[in-house]
Amino acid sequence: MSEELISKKELLELAGISYGQLYRWKRKDLIPEEWFVRKSTFTGQETFFPKEKILERINKIQTMKENLSLDELADMFSPSLSDLQLDRDELIKRNIVSNAVMNLYLENDQSGPKFNFSRMLEVYVLEKLLQSGEINLDEGKMLLQVLKDNAALIKQKSCELMITRKLGVSSCLLLINAEEVHFERGTKVVVQVSLMTCMEEIKSKLV
Amino acid sequence: MELKNRGDLAINGLGSSNGGQFNLVTLNGRGTINNDVECHEFECNGLGTVNGNVTADTARVNGNAKFKGTFESEKLTVEGTAKFEKNLNVKNLRVSGKASVGGSVKCEEIKLRGMLSVGEDCEAELFKGEYRFTIGGLLNADQVEIKIYGECKAKEIGGQTITVRQHKGSFISALLKPIFKAQLETELIEGDKIDLENTIAKVVRGNQVRIGPNCQIGVVEYTDEFSQDKNAIVNDIRKA
Repeated sequence: MSEELISKKELLELAGISYGQLYRWKRKDLIPEEWFVRKSTFTGQETFFPKEKILERINKIQTMKENLSLDELADMFSPSLSDLQLDRDELIKRNIVSNAVMNLYLENDQSGPKFNFSRMLEVYVLEKLLQSGEINLDEGKMLLQVLKDNAALIKQKSCELMITRKLGVSSCLLLINAEEVHFERGTKVVVQVSLMTCMEEIKSKLV
Repeated sequence: MELKNRGDLAINGLGSSNGGQFNLVTLNGRGTINNDVECHEFECNGLGTVNGNVTADTARVNGNAKFKGTFESEKLTVEGTAKFEKNLNVKNLRVSGKASVGGSVKCEEIKLRGMLSVGEDCEAELFKGEYRFTIGGLLNADQVEIKIYGECKAKEIGGQTITVRQHKGSFISALLKPIFKAQLETELIEGDKIDLENTIAKVVRGNQVRIGPNCQIGVVEYTDEFSQDKNAIVNDIRKA
């Protein structure tokens, strides 16, 4: 980890928040547990945070908390999701998915035009990767399969999706809380996306 | 929850069930539920064991209960002994017996008048602790009100208002005092308003800090106000 860290005291001063607020946000899961880095210093144990991420998150919380309650904010940041249901036109209108990809998705998935959040995520990831031209159609189908089979896991954990190719054969992996992955030589990592980031992107489009 | 068509589960005597969805679950004898159970009301008066997860609206343990999965409920009252091997998510928790949790506790309100031990973190909006508790991780609550009767321990305490008071001892507790130490032991206390008595802590950080009698504090870091009782030991005081 080469990120710059900031101590809790400096953070409170810099962001102008109190201990009470910080602990409250932590309780509401607005700040992920992994960001609390404990280190020993000469005064004993102190908690540090990855500077950029935490400042960005606090900034977001402070600007959004005027319109949204803390619980709504928590929904926004946390991977576990509300029982929101949207239909296909709505998703196209909100720019989450293009018409072409939507039709493609519906060809592979017959469960109707109502989209819950897991399906939204599936279609969004598909859209994102197909549009960027990084994957082909078959890989897209493979990816949908992986996302569907592990839908329950994705909701709870921070997952990353990875597609690799070797000698023209591609495979799709779902990494859960993985720190690092290594492959043998000759394997090409085509794409790696964090599903958490995707979820946040979708949510910011929904609000 | 659709409750109309649900039946009740009652085990009076020695029995076991495979769980499922019920309106009322009562374990009066030695009952075992082998799988997940979802119910409106859960009650255990005898020796009960649930090997799965429990989801209930209200729950009450008067006897001795053991839960091997996670436990979720709007309201939980423990008057006997309850052991939770995983996490406990309850809006309103009252313990006047003994509760031990292997995982973490998430509540809105915790009222403790008995014993509580938590393996990991304990979170609540309001934590009112009287008598004894042990928390292996962080005690994180908006308002922490602790009244010390016995030995209280938490690795860290954080929140907005943190108040620790010594229980006004009776004659009997004065006799037992040399045997049981009635103190709060923690590594770190962080909060906006901190008011302590009978506390041993390595570091205390806050805006307004009052250190009362019988405290032993390693370092106090404060920003606005600080006061110290003459019967307290503070090794180092820093104003940020």
